[in-house]
This record gives sequence, C-alpha cells and structure tokens, in this order.
Amino acid sequence: MKNESIAFIMAGRRQRHRRWVLVTSFLVVLACILCGAMLLLGNTIHPVKDVIRALLGERIQGVSFAVNTIRLPRMLAGVFAGFAFGIAGDIFQTMLRNPLANPNVIGITTGSSAAAVFCIVILHASGAVVSIASVIAGLATVTLIYILSRGKSFSIGRLILIGIGIQAMLNALISYLLLVGAEQDIPAALRWLSGSLNGSQMHELPPLILSVFIFAPIVIMLAKQLSILELGEQSATSLGVNTDRTRMMLILSSVCMISLATSTTGPIAFVSFLAGPIAKRLVGVGFSNVIPAGLVGVNLVLAADLIGQFAFVVRYPVGIITGIIGAPYLIYLLIRMNRKGEL
Amino acid sequence: MKPTHLFEAEQLVAGYDNKTVIQEVSLTIPSNKISVIIGANASGKSTLLKTLARLIKPTSGKINLDGKSITKMPPKQLARVLGLLPQSPIVPEGISVADLVGRGRFPHQSMLSGWTKKDYEAVAEAMRIMDITKLANQNIDELSGGQRQRVWIAMALAQQTDILFLDEPTTFLDITYQVEILDMLTDLNRKKGTTIVMVLHDINLSARYADNIFAIHNGKLVAEGEPSKVITSSLVKDVFGLDCIVVEDPISGSPSVVPIGRHHVNNAYTP
Repeated sequence: MKNESIAFIMAGRRQRHRRWVLVTSFLVVLACILCGAMLLLGNTIHPVKDVIRALLGERIQGVSFAVNTIRLPRMLAGVFAGFAFGIAGDIFQTMLRNPLANPNVIGITTGSSAAAVFCIVILHASGAVVSIASVIAGLATVTLIYILSRGKSFSIGRLILIGIGIQAMLNALISYLLLVGAEQDIPAALRWLSGSLNGSQMHELPPLILSVFIFAPIVIMLAKQLSILELGEQSATSLGVNTDRTRMMLILSSVCMISLATSTTGPIAFVSFLAGPIAKRLVGVGFSNVIPAGLVGVNLVLAADLIGQFAFVVRYPVGIITGIIGAPYLIYLLIRMNRKGEL
Repeated sequence: MKPTHLFEAEQLVAGYDNKTVIQEVSLTIPSNKISVIIGANASGKSTLLKTLARLIKPTSGKINLDGKSITKMPPKQLARVLGLLPQSPIVPEGISVADLVGRGRFPHQSMLSGWTKKDYEAVAEAMRIMDITKLANQNIDELSGGQRQRVWIAMALAQQTDILFLDEPTTFLDITYQVEILDMLTDLNRKKGTTIVMVLHDINLSARYADNIFAIHNGKLVAEGEPSKVITSSLVKDVFGLDCIVVEDPISGSPSVVPIGRHHVNNAYTP
C-alpha cells in the first residue's frame, strides 16, 4: 500500500519530467538549427564548408566578411537577447501570477530603450555609457511602477494598467527623441521602438553576453524559490522563503539582463510576453519554466528574424514580426481578464 | 511521536499599518495538543494566528520557540518545525496534485536537487493521510472545494512540521467536509503528536475538537483552557455578544452553544 502509492506518485512525476526533458531538448535542437540558418542564409548562400571554415578563422574572400561581421553578431544578438527576454518575462509573469505583467507590456524595456536612444541620439555616446544608462533606466522604471501602483493595498491589475500607461509615455518620448535627433532615420527608429537585429556589431555584444552568463545562473538557482513564491506571500513565508530578498534578487537580475538586451537590440516586441506562456503550454506545470521560457525566447527571435529577412519582398526587422504575433495574444488576454474581472 | 516544543508569545502587540489589532497577548501553546482560537469577526483571531506564524511582524513583544526568538531563526530551519495553511492559498494554474503537495517539501530540499526518496515518502504519506492518493496525477483545477482543501492540508503535512497552524481550514466547506477535515486533523494529532493551532468559525465544532481554547475579544486574550471550563454562556455573551445557553453535546460530552435569538424562543428562555 505504502510502496504502491509512492510508485504511483513517482510514475506520474517521471512522466511529467520526461515531457519537460523532451520539450527542452527539442527547443535546444530547434535553436541550433535556426542558428545554422542565420549563418547560412543571406544575400548569397555560401557552402556550409566555407561558412564553417570562415567561423574557424580562415580568411575566405567574400565569405568571411558576410559570416563573421554580419551574420554571426546578428545571430548572437538574437540568441542572447531572446534568452534574456524569455527568462525575464517568465520570472515577472510567474512572480506576479499574471501573463500581462511582463517587462514588455509594463514598459520596463521601453524605459531602457528610451535611455539608450537618449544616450545615442542626443549625447552621441556609445558602449559602456549606453549599457549603464539603460540598466539604470530599467531599474528606475520598475521602481516608478512599483511606487505608483502601491496605493492602499497592492493590486496586480493596477500595476499592469500603470505599466501600460508608462510604456505609452516612454514610447512617445522615444519618438520625440528620434525626431529631434540629428541622426534620426527610419531603421534606427524601428530598432528603438520595436527591436531589430539589423546592424548588430560584435563589439556591442559583450555587456549583454556577460550579463546573461552572470544573471541567468542566478535566476535558474532561484527557480525553486520562484515556484514557492507563486503560491502567494503567506504560503511562501511559512515554507521558509525569504520573500523580500528573493523577489529583489529576481527583479534585479531580470532587469539587468533585459536592459542590456534592450540596449543591444531594442525592445524586441512581445518576446518577454509570449515566451513564458508558450513554454508553459509545451512543458506543462510542475517543473521550472525558466529555462524552457529562455529557449522559446531564442527560437522566437531567431525564427521571427529569419521570417522578417526572407519571407517578404521587403526586409522587416524582427520586432515587426514578433509584434504581429504578440498583439493578438495581448488583446485576447485583455478580453479574458476583463471577463474574469481581473482588470 | 513528535517532540515537545515550548512555543510562547509574550506581551504581543501587532496589527496592520498604524492600526493595532492584537493588544498585549501573552500565551503558551500546549505542545502536542489541538488548540482552537475563537472570536467574533474582526476580533483579531486570524491576525493573532498570522503573527504567531511570522506572517505579520509584531510591533512589540516576543514570540519564542524553545526559548529562541522566531524572528532570529533562519527561515528554512523554522519552516521545518512550524507550518501554516493560509486561509486562501493561491493555486498555480494547471499544476498536478502531487507536484503541489511536493512544494511543501521546500524547507527540506537543497537549492537545485530534485525529489529525494524522503520527499516521495513524505508526499505519499501526506496524501494517504488526507486520502487523496488517487488524485495524485490529476490537475488541481479539476477538483471540488473539499478535495482542494485536503490537497492544501496535505501540502502542509508534507512539510512534516511538529507544529501546524491552520487559518480557518473548514470555511466554505459543507458540514460533511468540515467534520471530515477536523477528524483527519485529530488523527494527525493523535497518531503523530503534531501540535495543531487553528482558527475556526464554528464554536460548537471548536468545543468538540479542541483540547484547548483561546478566546479573543477586541484583540485581547479573554479566556483560555479546556473547552468544558472556558465555554460558558457568559463568555459567549462577552466574546460574541450573543445570548445563549450552553448544553452538553450528546455525542461528545463537550459544551454546545444554543443561541437565543429574538424569534422562535420558548417563554422559559425569554430574556
């Protein structure tokens, strides 16, 4: 009886774990395939052998430049930004128990983006200044939303609505900065409003890559705490989670990652919004959704960028494609929440 | 049997923002017994339980477990001794029963490890006690209110604490489920010696199932002790503002409160 019940519980849990492993592996394989496609496809399709030799450092006329200077940084920017957006979105959504409460919808990425635009277009700054400014702006936006939504008692509905308002204001600010900036042009505007991998350069990537290597392990280690936080403040406290400290570490890590991602690629529309729910649909509930959400983020960005580059006569930046996918889902969620009386 | 613990509160003052709810409450929780906190709505009974379970930081006063202040103990270590089932716990959408019950194992687990043999045993045992083993791999969204409540209690049981606090574990349940849950908690107390402290709405069920009653009125502890000594018509009048007579419960022999309202009252009892 005793052993039977343990076996029964174990069997169910193993089955759910197997699904998690299978889906996660599939997402890794898919991401690798998309990475390959990012390197192979372009104006000219070079032979695979040449592409690999160019990546390994051999100088091949025509291939080396296309692969190492154009396609590789574009792919890396997509991979790391997608991972950062996916993970951070899932953490916010899980922590606040609401899919709308993600950095993209509540304007955190827009805050970072506005700071990046200000530094680049107005101050003509680059590199570390832009990175630092966007992290500070991301954290400032979170703080502002938190203070404004605190009120008498905390409500997630209010936090989301205030966030959407702040996002709209910051978007207006970005448009204004791009208009007054001397160097304003359409591609730059698209990058800072909806995100783009166009013109990604190798020397811009280290802050983003570094932040993912530092903060992704931190949040993955906190995944178990996050799953307890999801049960609500009271249960989490009585299960021994230091709720304030855990939340603070999760928010800081997520915001650092997405702010640097934003300062590199712009706020790629809706990736942090879509990745978590898609991952949860795929892997199910019960095991951590953090890594699958990051991988879905990578796949979304790479697939959307490939579609934007090659599916149409005109090339579209990645954010336009993810925006087309994300906007209907946003409307669907708003309607559903309104019906349930959550807004 | 669970070890005995000395859990005591001294001159406890607590509340929300600037509003003081609990006023200088001192009490000792009888170890390995069932205690029930009773009181009218807004009397502070739930606030008292939450303060004792460290969910609310007291304004002043001390809460000690075996002579050590609970605020100074590492949270995970405390969570292995003291558990709480909140009044309205939050369910993650789409989670299976076994996975939810397993989250009660958190204080026993290290950062990245999966479930150990001990975790499986604790989860299976908790589910057996609450009679929900069959539901293990079902989605919690599919369960009835009574079944859900058993899942939540199982989660608290999987935590394997010596002391268990429950904030109105029977509210919103039919009378059948109320009795069922209270019977299961009594089993737990008798078989394992788990110290149980709960807030209950129903004074008659409280009187029947409690070894010890704490009566709260306006944030003050006005009476404590065995139900047969504490529950009197004058206490019910003081605490609930209700005229009543107290009779003997024919089933358990515990005191049972029969209210006197304005209507349907025989002449003999007209105040």
